[in-house]
Amino acid sequence: MSERSDPGAAEPSRRGLFRNLVNGIGAAIVTALAVPLAGFFVLPAFKRSKTVWKEVGRLDDFVAGEIKLVPLRPLERREWPEDWGTEAAWVYRKGERDFVVYDLHCTHVGCPVNWSPQAKRFFSPCHGGVFDADGRVLSGPPPRPLDRYETKIEKGVLYAGAVYRGDRRLGRAVS
Amino acid sequence: MRLLQKMTDFLEDRLELPTLWRGFTDRNLPRGIGWLQTLGSATLFLLLVQTATGILLAFYYVPSPEHAFHSVSLIETQLPLGWLIRGIHKWAASLVVLLVVLHLLRVLYMGAFKYPRELTWVVGVLLLLVVLAFGFTGYLLPWDQRGYWATVVGTHIASFAPALGPYVMETLRGQPDVGVRTLGRFYAFHTLFLPALLFLLVAVHVAMVVKQGIAPWPAKKFASVRREEYWKLYQHFKEGGRPFYVSMAKDAVVALGLLLLVFFLAWKLGAPIGEEADPTSATFVPRPEWYFLFLFELLWWFPGQWIPVATFWIPAFLILLLLFLPWLDRSIHRSPLRRPLTTGLTSAFVLAAIFLTYKGASAPTPPAAATAVRARLEQQALSPLAQKGRGVYEEQGCAACHSIAGAGSAAGPDLTKIARRRDADWLARFITAPEKVTPGAEMPAYDGLTKEELNSLVAYLQTLR
Repeated sequence: MSERSDPGAAEPSRRGLFRNLVNGIGAAIVTALAVPLAGFFVLPAFKRSKTVWKEVGRLDDFVAGEIKLVPLRPLERREWPEDWGTEAAWVYRKGERDFVVYDLHCTHVGCPVNWSPQAKRFFSPCHGGVFDADGRVLSGPPPRPLDRYETKIEKGVLYAGAVYRGDRRLGRAVS
Repeated sequence: MRLLQKMTDFLEDRLELPTLWRGFTDRNLPRGIGWLQTLGSATLFLLLVQTATGILLAFYYVPSPEHAFHSVSLIETQLPLGWLIRGIHKWAASLVVLLVVLHLLRVLYMGAFKYPRELTWVVGVLLLLVVLAFGFTGYLLPWDQRGYWATVVGTHIASFAPALGPYVMETLRGQPDVGVRTLGRFYAFHTLFLPALLFLLVAVHVAMVVKQGIAPWPAKKFASVRREEYWKLYQHFKEGGRPFYVSMAKDAVVALGLLLLVFFLAWKLGAPIGEEADPTSATFVPRPEWYFLFLFELLWWFPGQWIPVATFWIPAFLILLLLFLPWLDRSIHRSPLRRPLTTGLTSAFVLAAIFLTYKGASAPTPPAAATAVRARLEQQALSPLAQKGRGVYEEQGCAACHSIAGAGSAAGPDLTKIARRRDADWLARFITAPEKVTPGAEMPAYDGLTKEELNSLVAYLQTLR
């Protein structure tokens, strides 16, 4: 009886037990929810489907020594959205079967580079990045040469695959 | 009146609401609280305007790359009053950023972040970041060229974060490039996550202000206060003050003025929509909204391997500096005059930011330029040789780096008056081999020009004086 009239005596361990229980269950609930939620936020960004090859054009469409902007047509249709998201790339025909396909974005902060056929240079409109026909940095702040698409030629048609970083060995051109 | 009294009594009896409200409005504020202290309430007011207009815009907006631009065009051109609601949302957004910054500076200069308001300050800095995140995510939603390319650049910048950079970029984009998932998450951030976070933080921020009272002017007895003496002094000061509703009149006037200003801007300048986002365009010139221009400009100063300094280290350093300010400036002094280091550094940062923003805003119009240059110079009579040289200037993409009469780019020197500084011989030598004339010159060598092209180009440059 004395225990009941004096709640402080026997209770502390029970109170402590319940407090820990509530905290423990709470932590379990938060973790059980937070892990899948965070995963759902982050993981789709990194889910890699197999490389979808994109048709660049027939070889005859390109003149040797010239560089032109071409929209890339994926060989497999996406589930969604079908009608949006064409990419374009700069295609440089260096020789008979020697092609370089450049990513459109400057390696500095991603502005679209524009090829000037007269100057024979790529110009970025943002911070003065200039690249030569081989994608090397001629001037300005870009940290590396233009990124490129992997390419293959089948039955007279040029295809572009995944984007990779331009060869670091090309480096910065020295005049 | 009887009915009103009855309703008041009803609420009083059950929830004590009238008493609570009077406790809020009738409490004394210390003397000297004036117009400068309306900046916080003005920010809150505009945030409420943004909430109301934003909810209504979401009724008609469709967050998909196929429909976003057209739904915004519909709001802007077809729906009654759509142009007004969109205009208000756009202009109030700019004003929110401006007011948040002014509010922060007011608190910073007056030492109002000091004991006991350190946490109010920290929450305020978090609110600044939330407001900037609102601006960044909202810019993409119209899915026009401006928003699309600003987002390409903005997320690309995140890839310079140390170690995890590329992962941060793809997490922000939701995919390797900017596309359907980017729009989805920016929309969810802008309309669901950020508003929830915003009002949670605002509630905490305002509750702390109510609980602790507004910071007194940092003058006279409050120019320097010891922590132990603070509350006694503040209590004493409050008793000599005026009730809150007197200053609320100022808050109300400012809110009304801001609303009229926003209406005016929405009516006069509106929120024009550009062209639909096109990831295949190679000629668009990306530019950020004005409140991110200083960052964009900062990139000029840090080329190549130094890029992360501008894109990561400086912003991260500034944010940490702000967050931990109450523990960095720990002196008993509150008056800006007695804290020369904080006051001086703050002013230096503000001037630098204004300078960079100005440089960014007044940057020459870039080289869609070939035509712009021609238009501006058409009037001038040029010799046939110089005319040919002007053609070479345009063809060779000189305007991608140089500017003439405000057309071109700021990457290289302005050539508007180049003939005053350099003679023909020097120009010809420099153009063909810049590195030889000026070691370390950034300009790529133009050694592929024919003699005729070079002569005419130099002749053209000689006319610029």
